[in-house]
Amino acid sequence: MAVSADFKSGLLGAIPNLRAFAVSLTHNTDRADDLVQETLVKAWDKHESFQPGTNLKAWLFTILRNEFYSQMRKRGREIQDSDGIMTSRLAVHPSQHGSLDLEDFRVALERLPEDQREAIILIGASGFSYEEAAEICGCAVGTIKSRVSRARTRLQELLGISGEGEFGPDSIAAQILGTAV
Amino acid sequence: MTKTKTQSEQRPGRAGSTDILGTNSEIGRKLRQYYDGLVSEDVPDRFAQLLQELDQAESAAKPE
Repeated sequence: MAVSADFKSGLLGAIPNLRAFAVSLTHNTDRADDLVQETLVKAWDKHESFQPGTNLKAWLFTILRNEFYSQMRKRGREIQDSDGIMTSRLAVHPSQHGSLDLEDFRVALERLPEDQREAIILIGASGFSYEEAAEICGCAVGTIKSRVSRARTRLQELLGISGEGEFGPDSIAAQILGTAV
Repeated sequence: MTKTKTQSEQRPGRAGSTDILGTNSEIGRKLRQYYDGLVSEDVPDRFAQLLQELDQAESAAKPE
């Protein structure tokens, strides 16, 4: 079966989002672009397994994420370790002007464990539902929820923000999970 | 992929804004600012080229 025009234009249209997700995972534009390229080739090769009418973006994110983790396994932990050294040299300061600096935020985001970072990106930025994010990450919906909650708590700690959602259901969840400050 | 959503996870307005990362959350706002900045970057030409090459390779392999 030939690759349909819809599928092609869907791939093209998804590229900016795929790149954003890839940069969030790798913190590196060159690696991110390689990851997107690999994702497009894989998606093309297995286009017959995509069911038209379902969420192409989620399908592509799943491929990209799997590719990222398989590359990580091949490379061992070297990239992560060097990232850790780099980011630990960069201090994160609470803003003195009331509004959080975007660069500080980026550095703090990079310091999150991968599972938490991808969860908070998928839910808070890429526009996926908890169910979709769970499918992309191959885990339970509850797992995504607790990762998002822990990610937010950790970002608040790193950035010196307090008082957000202290009384919401997620602070209770955080206590149950033992992740409260 | 199914699209089932429970009430608490309905996303009002912009997709992805949930209770804990909603419009009133500074973390939520920064997250979207960070990500939207990445999404709006110029896409390198190599990707459109790649898709064109894949397309050409396919029509060469399977002439209609």
